[in-house]
Amino acid sequence: MNRRTLLSAGVSLALGALALPAFAFAGDIPAKVEAPVTISYYNYNLATAGIGGEATKKLIAEFEAANPNIKVNGVGVTSAEISTRVQADVAAGRGPDVAQMVFSDFDFMVHNLGAVALEDIIPTAELKAHFEGISPKGLALGVYEGKTYGLAYTFSTPVLFYNADLFRKAGLDPENPPKTWAEVKVAAKAIVDKAGAEGIATGIFGPSAGDWLFQGLIRSNGASVLSKDRKTLTFASAEGIEAVSMLQDLYKSGVYSNLDISAAMDAMAAGTVGMYLQTSAVQGYLVKGAKGNFELRASTMPRFGDKPVRPNNSGSALVIMSHDPVKQRAAWELMKFMTSKHAYTVITSQIGYLPLRTDIVNDPQYLGEWVKDHPLIQPNLQQLAVLEPWESFPGANYRQIVKTMMDGAEQAVFGGGDPAKAMKDAQANAQKLMPAAMN
Amino acid sequence: MTAAIATMGSTEKPLARRRTRTANRRLLPWLYLSPVIATFIVWIYWPLIDAFRLSFYQWDMLPTSPIVPVGWTNYINIFSLPKFWQALGNTGWYIAGLLPLAVALPLAIAIFTADLPPRARMVYRGIIFVPMIVAPVVAAAIWRWLLDPGHGMVNMMMRDFGFRPLRFLQDPNLALWTIVVLTGWKLIGFSTLILSAANANINPSLIEAARMDGASKWEIIRDIRLPLLSSTVLFLVMMTILLGAQWSFSYINVLTGGGPLGSSTNIYYVLWDFGFSSLSVGWSSAAAVILFLGFGALAFVLFRLIDKVSFHDN
Repeated sequence: MNRRTLLSAGVSLALGALALPAFAFAGDIPAKVEAPVTISYYNYNLATAGIGGEATKKLIAEFEAANPNIKVNGVGVTSAEISTRVQADVAAGRGPDVAQMVFSDFDFMVHNLGAVALEDIIPTAELKAHFEGISPKGLALGVYEGKTYGLAYTFSTPVLFYNADLFRKAGLDPENPPKTWAEVKVAAKAIVDKAGAEGIATGIFGPSAGDWLFQGLIRSNGASVLSKDRKTLTFASAEGIEAVSMLQDLYKSGVYSNLDISAAMDAMAAGTVGMYLQTSAVQGYLVKGAKGNFELRASTMPRFGDKPVRPNNSGSALVIMSHDPVKQRAAWELMKFMTSKHAYTVITSQIGYLPLRTDIVNDPQYLGEWVKDHPLIQPNLQQLAVLEPWESFPGANYRQIVKTMMDGAEQAVFGGGDPAKAMKDAQANAQKLMPAAMN
Repeated sequence: MTAAIATMGSTEKPLARRRTRTANRRLLPWLYLSPVIATFIVWIYWPLIDAFRLSFYQWDMLPTSPIVPVGWTNYINIFSLPKFWQALGNTGWYIAGLLPLAVALPLAIAIFTADLPPRARMVYRGIIFVPMIVAPVVAAAIWRWLLDPGHGMVNMMMRDFGFRPLRFLQDPNLALWTIVVLTGWKLIGFSTLILSAANANINPSLIEAARMDGASKWEIIRDIRLPLLSSTVLFLVMMTILLGAQWSFSYINVLTGGGPLGSSTNIYYVLWDFGFSSLSVGWSSAAAVILFLGFGALAFVLFRLIDKVSFHDN
């Protein structure tokens, strides 16, 4: 570390401790990075072995080559730990300059970790130019209380993967995958009875699952996790209970396997499960397992009867955490690069997420050829049009609320008791952890 | 300085000199002890007291967030977690399951390998000790592969013998016991080592004498070896009760995350999960205080028991 970086680190430390985002105003940051600067970038793809990490490293190297004054210090932290790590490092006064933050921590990130709103630091014209071509639904994911705090980066939608070979064996038509949960039950039963495999597995429950799939599931039945004023938890509404009762029914009829996250993924890749509802981000892994083994296909998330499916995204946004103007500029340059057409081509084709810029899908210069060869991406793209934001819970206990809710839902589905009671108990317990209860 | 005072004050009354000397003598031990006392205060007592204080606040360690006093809320939150009571019960099962593996089995191994020829004994104990030096997370990952219901070696072997595959880590009735066995598997080596050492320490003349009196092998074990090993055994029992549930933490974390349905969670895991994973100082401190008081009381009882029950050679 040379004296300049030491000095700038010191300056940013001091600024980080003093400055609040409210004091910054538009056009505050320099137009260019004139002198060498190093920014730290926390990223969870870097923490994964294999393709996600490699592709991210490649993108960082390309960015550094294009911006010789900016050095990016990429730090890999797993997705489950990245918020805790950012929090710990901010607490220690050495937070990251740019972080890839999971959407469920958004409220906390804005209110407690001092994430910087783009509108506060980037000139309006420049911001507008970069937002050109970004899917409006995708852009909305990073908006909080009227300001853009994050740009959706690696995000995906829930996809129903299915094993076409098992479908044929069970006498089902792989051209017509089930579209509703009732159809899922029929198909899963056929797979269990006739093909001798597991019917359906999901990534809804489990220690590392979070609540994103669950939110999409109950929302599709007309429920929500949180009231509009963000004060009352509502996941144990009649619709919410109906949704988990449906899963309980699947489980009780022996067609829904309670596998943990990695076991379910392994089983699907090994060809022993008929259907698998999970983020499209696992596509690369499943494709590898299916190759030469079985035919892997994908469909959209099942809906309830004739209600529209209302999935929310999984994944993360890029957020600027630095309060130093020069570093903010460098961070913004990195953010622009990572959400460019080129970067999204790499992210979509190599890691398996959604392109935030839908105009590259049919552009032969970018994803055009690849999309033709990879029909698995189609359900994911279809759902981008109906995507809704992943709700994050307010207050200091936001994580405990998620855990309590998911424990209750898991109990409702697999616990064998009354789903309504499990959900209502969980809601009552979690409501006590909401900030309003503190006042 | 003492010398200087002594030479300069040679004309003063000897009484004053003696007083300085006794004052010094009284101060000196404290001077020698001060580094240790300071370390204890800084590293143990002050954090302990601070944990008590912080358990009544809500804070997430960020310099920008306020430290809000919340009274007993953190304790109420913890005690009203349905998982807390489940975890407390599970902790009891963990301890009950670990005792045979961490104490009884190693005791048998230590006694019965003692009579083996030296080389065979070394090899045998070496094999038993190996799991101890495998890193817990690595061991957990390997066990995950071995126990996989679909393609794990354990289940494949069971299928070859005509049994149905078992979902060791996914079945709520099995997960806790699977983790007990994995934790025990690692502890056997450690306990065997300690018990072997204690066993080798028994004065051979006692055993010679018993043999001369015509005691059988079993009688020697029952009447000489076991009573003389009792303090070591009680020590291991206490270790298992106080720390056994802690030793399973890494397996729970890597293999089950406390699931399915909280069946394999224990008190340490639940409190860590709800407190530390979001850096909630209040939750974590309250959890730490609860554990401190609970296990402190248990340790007190155990120490009293050991003093009463154990038997010493001389």
